[in-house]
Amino acid sequence: MKTLADLKKIREKAQEEMKFRGGNVRIKIVVGMGTSGIAMGAREVMKTFLEEISNRNLTDVLVTQTGEKGLSSMEPVVDVIEDGKAKITYGNMNPDKVKKVVVEHIVNGRTVSDYVVATGD
Amino acid sequence: MQDISLHLLDIIENSVRAKARNIKVRVINNAEKNRLRIIVEDDGVGMDTQTLERAQDPFYTSKAEREKKVGLGIPLFKQNAELANGSFKMASEPGFGTVLTVDFELSNIDRMPLGNLKDTLLGSIIGHPEVDFSIHLTCRERGHEQSFHFDTAAIKEELGDIPLTYPDVIEYIDQSLFEGIQNTNMEDV
Repeated sequence: MKTLADLKKIREKAQEEMKFRGGNVRIKIVVGMGTSGIAMGAREVMKTFLEEISNRNLTDVLVTQTGEKGLSSMEPVVDVIEDGKAKITYGNMNPDKVKKVVVEHIVNGRTVSDYVVATGD
Repeated sequence: MQDISLHLLDIIENSVRAKARNIKVRVINNAEKNRLRIIVEDDGVGMDTQTLERAQDPFYTSKAEREKKVGLGIPLFKQNAELANGSFKMASEPGFGTVLTVDFELSNIDRMPLGNLKDTLLGSIIGHPEVDFSIHLTCRERGHEQSFHFDTAAIKEELGDIPLTYPDVIEYIDQSLFEGIQNTNMEDV
């Protein structure tokens, strides 16, 4: 059974790491979780991002959920927001596409243009 | 929506959109009473009587930014509960929050499966770090009761400024939920 003592260890480890590289969030990912997004598989998209972050040990990426954004026909929709860069919106996402976006965009900094449905605000 | 856990996710998103800071989710599997009950309680902005009524109407939505004014989330959940000889109740008070109680007849052939409760809860907890979640799972069967409580406020306090998306934290929450769901026999309801 997991206990709060386990969390303490995690915190110590994380604080040690952050001392080393600074605690900044480099990339923010926002998964659209409105009714139509959920019906089209947004939960699995969210789950895959969390799995990839955990498996690849990406400590400078933040993932959150948001409501409907009026792109119902392109759900599931995901925003990738990076400081000083235009926001990239990916559409019609699924777990395989998420894995590709993580490798190409999040890790290697190359936008996956095939999946982009909007840029900027 | 193919299962109850997806409806639950939709309802949680409604609570977040209503600016809830605390969301309590209870899932009670009561084999003795042949009932599966889901309760979602939030401290969001709440609804007046008229909005409450309209929320159950498929041709209404509170999402002002949307062009098409339809909201199917709540009406579909209601319909799915009623199809399984269940019930759907929403109570709300402006300024205080909303409580939603959905009942299903456990053995009903038309009852949708509970589905992947873990992924619904994991995504909601990590995807909304500003919200404190209190999860209660209870299983009652042949005179035995198993329950699981999970409070995210205590976790966040312990973590301090370490984000919930920190890899080991994701794993911690995932594993805790997994164990809780197994201990209350909720993985295959």
